[in-house]
Amino acid sequence: MAENRQPILSAKDVEIEFTLRGKVLKAIRKCSLDLYKGETLAIVGESGSGKSVFTKSFLGMLDANGSITGGTITYDGNDISKYKTEKQWMAIRGKKISMVMQDPMTSLNPLKKIGRQIEESITYNQGIKGEEARKMAIEMLSKVGIPDPERRAKQYPHEFSGGMRQRVVIAIAAACRPDILICDEPTTALDVTIQAQILDLIRGLQKDLDMTVIYITHDLGVVANVADRVAVMYAGQIVEVGTVEEIFYDAWHPYTWALLNSLPQLGVKGEELPTIEGTPPNLFNEVHGDAFAPRNKQALAIDFEEEPPFFNVSETHIAKTWYLDPRAPKIEQPKSILSLRNKMKK
Amino acid sequence: MASKQDELFRFVEYSPENAERIGYSNYSYWRSVMQNFLKRKSAVFMLFVFVGLVIFSFIALAIGKYDWATLVTNTDLAFHKPDGEYWFGCDNLGRDYWCQVWYSMQTSVKLAALVGGGECVLGIVIGCLWGYVRWLDRPITELYNIINNVPMIIYLTLIALIFRGLSFPVMCITLIAFGWLVMARNVRNLVFMYRDREYNLASRCLGTPISRVLVKNIFPYLISVIVLRLALSIPGTISLETTLSYLGLGLGIDTPSLGILLRNARNYFVDYPYLLVFPAVVVALITITFYLLGNAFSDASDPRNHV
Amino acid sequence: MAEREKLIELKDLQITFGTGRKKFVAVDHVNFDIYKGETFSLVGESGSGKTTIGRAITRINPVSAGEIYFKGQRISGKISKEMDLEVIKKCQMIFQDPMASLNERAKVDYIVSEGLINHHLYKDEDDRKRKVEYALREVGLLPEFASRFPHEFSGGQRQRIGIARALIMEPEFVVADEPISALDVSIRAQVLNLLNKLKKSRGLTYLFIAHDLSVVRFISDRIAVISKGRIVELAEAEELFLHPLHPYTKALLSAVPIPDPQLEKQKKLLVYDPSIHDYSTDKPVWEEILPGHFIYGNKKELEQYRREVQA
Repeated sequence: MAENRQPILSAKDVEIEFTLRGKVLKAIRKCSLDLYKGETLAIVGESGSGKSVFTKSFLGMLDANGSITGGTITYDGNDISKYKTEKQWMAIRGKKISMVMQDPMTSLNPLKKIGRQIEESITYNQGIKGEEARKMAIEMLSKVGIPDPERRAKQYPHEFSGGMRQRVVIAIAAACRPDILICDEPTTALDVTIQAQILDLIRGLQKDLDMTVIYITHDLGVVANVADRVAVMYAGQIVEVGTVEEIFYDAWHPYTWALLNSLPQLGVKGEELPTIEGTPPNLFNEVHGDAFAPRNKQALAIDFEEEPPFFNVSETHIAKTWYLDPRAPKIEQPKSILSLRNKMKK
Repeated sequence: MASKQDELFRFVEYSPENAERIGYSNYSYWRSVMQNFLKRKSAVFMLFVFVGLVIFSFIALAIGKYDWATLVTNTDLAFHKPDGEYWFGCDNLGRDYWCQVWYSMQTSVKLAALVGGGECVLGIVIGCLWGYVRWLDRPITELYNIINNVPMIIYLTLIALIFRGLSFPVMCITLIAFGWLVMARNVRNLVFMYRDREYNLASRCLGTPISRVLVKNIFPYLISVIVLRLALSIPGTISLETTLSYLGLGLGIDTPSLGILLRNARNYFVDYPYLLVFPAVVVALITITFYLLGNAFSDASDPRNHV
Repeated sequence: MAEREKLIELKDLQITFGTGRKKFVAVDHVNFDIYKGETFSLVGESGSGKTTIGRAITRINPVSAGEIYFKGQRISGKISKEMDLEVIKKCQMIFQDPMASLNERAKVDYIVSEGLINHHLYKDEDDRKRKVEYALREVGLLPEFASRFPHEFSGGQRQRIGIARALIMEPEFVVADEPISALDVSIRAQVLNLLNKLKKSRGLTYLFIAHDLSVVRFISDRIAVISKGRIVELAEAEELFLHPLHPYTKALLSAVPIPDPQLEKQKKLLVYDPSIHDYSTDKPVWEEILPGHFIYGNKKELEQYRREVQA
């Protein structure tokens, strides 16, 4: 981990708001994140924590009623959070930063042949047309592991299974060799067996095409498989960032503990599975203090009053919790975290 | 300040109720529909125009110099141009045109409303059953095909022959009997789409009778489409009636309608254009305003637009 | 095992969709029993037919061959009105997608008490309201939620509303059709705990349908693995995890994501290739290879499995 590297994408104190039925929803409340070249960063959090919204802002793909109201996102020397016109975004979307969405069923145009869809992406972003684009499309199809690519390029999406369709979507996203590939829960809609294959595929493509990958997921199993670094998000904020080993074996934010704790694989038959009670807060309302406090069984009084700052656990690991303040009472990481490794070994 | 903060570093008791509590969003479907609709200024304007027209038709008859029922033919006044005495002039038989136009408008709107309502009810009921009850799909589809494939003119000519001309009630019933087709088809397509969604499977699992599944589970999603169909149907009926009257298959000469007026004006409009212009403008106004109104309401009642 | 009451029995079940050329056999020759008080899990990929079986038991899908018995009485095919009512009251279902399984345009109050209203299973309005309140509390929701609409709730809460809806009927048998697949991993534990708690407090029997083996290990008593409409292996939960025999089961197990970076990155993924089975001459059978451990295979494969077990 070279700490002196310059990040290729740097988001600082980003704030995003949505207007919904006359009310304002603060979806992202001061998030900062750095992305380094060649790494795989996983953003973990529940539905509604804002992980998709955050990454969509890198592509200018927020819904019409959303807008970036604060902070900066620096990419390639420019502050892309200030981009307003489609023309500016076109230079980035698909070319430099590309996205794979969750549902392969709806990500493809059902009326166009698969080959055509990949060719379009190539033509639009790289300006290559005709026969050469067609060849590149077929090459991409075989790169993503679709057998008999020549024949399958002439087929329509409904002739592919779910896992195959997701491979095609990945092919379209990666066809232009973007710098950054954002995968928004790419395997959630797929079976466990296909999931493993897709993760392998993305890993291979990443090496082959020299991409940086951001994974958005709520599944820690996926994170353990793919990530170099992990950022944990809760209620519109990033609450902990670190290397994957640090997060799994040395986490400090109570939400990360709760996430690690609540895995069904750790369950003991006959006992209750440790779980995170309650529901994430409604972001229409102002959040006081630490957003996770109402659901934290061991909350401190100050969690309800003031928002904690980031504390350094190590050079690569920061956590936003009052537990790391020197004045906090002695808190041990839950035993289950400490014994995670041993249990899995069994 | 530091010490005050320091003392907050203690554990507090955990409340499961607070963990579960979420914000309350005061969302009411119909209120959202109204809000959405009112945001479209052009639609609100159309609403005023349409209602204004209807109300005006009553006022117009009241302030008109002549009462429709007591019109007499007076060949001396034939083709009298519009002036202070006869605001819309007189028709070929010397009768005041003003009250004719407004009275006809009322008839046409009444017909369109009744037919629209009838098409709605019949179309929704048949459409729902068509889409939901599997074994009814085949027979109703055949019925639909039979009725749909024969041009309406033929049916109407037959009926006109049988009933010796079309009176208002007969016209109403006939138009409803053919108008339900499109509504039923639209409804059926939607019912098909929603029929096997999980919440409907859950209702089946719980033993909910078909009538309640259709009313509570599926019907609320049909509102947008139904309103749209209605919006198209009402101006459509008026146009249809106009066309039929023009062709001589419409209401009898005694029942005034905009179509009859247009038909009469056909023979004379080159020399006396006012005979055509007044009813034509009224037809156009009603058709356009209601169509735009209906479209706007349909958009407003689609929950996907409620942001 | 012999004294346990059989709640659900599936005999030679076959379910086909479509007719003529478009005939698709979703489920074929399925045989298993579910005992009272157990959690029986059915695991397989999408399209394997597991949801179809669950829906056939609750009479949403019709059965084309074979029978389903509930407490010894046939509940598949044409049955009397009283039997139908019995099935509705005693066998309920929890659905997969919390976003699609609730009527968006009805209040939670109506959604939960829909079953009660259908068969007038309450004395008066107050009684009904009390039952709804009790059901909501039982699943960990606040009674004030009854007057709200589903869209105001999160996925986990909506799924719990669905559970309340099924439980208010006081069933004996519940089909849980992938109840946690659409939920966040951190919320899954909530729902699983709830299902376990309700099982103990109400003496329920579950058919738990899933595609992820890691989840079912924690809650199941017995697990059946289904592939392309056929059950390929059936055993007690721990037994299946310790001694998986069928190659499909092994592939499923290897695909389960391990939330430990070092172990996960070293994992070897097994891919199942159905063409390794040659059933042209040597027909496969369903055999009990160990007590309580059944497997599907032809003579040659069964020999292989027996040798594996001995080792």
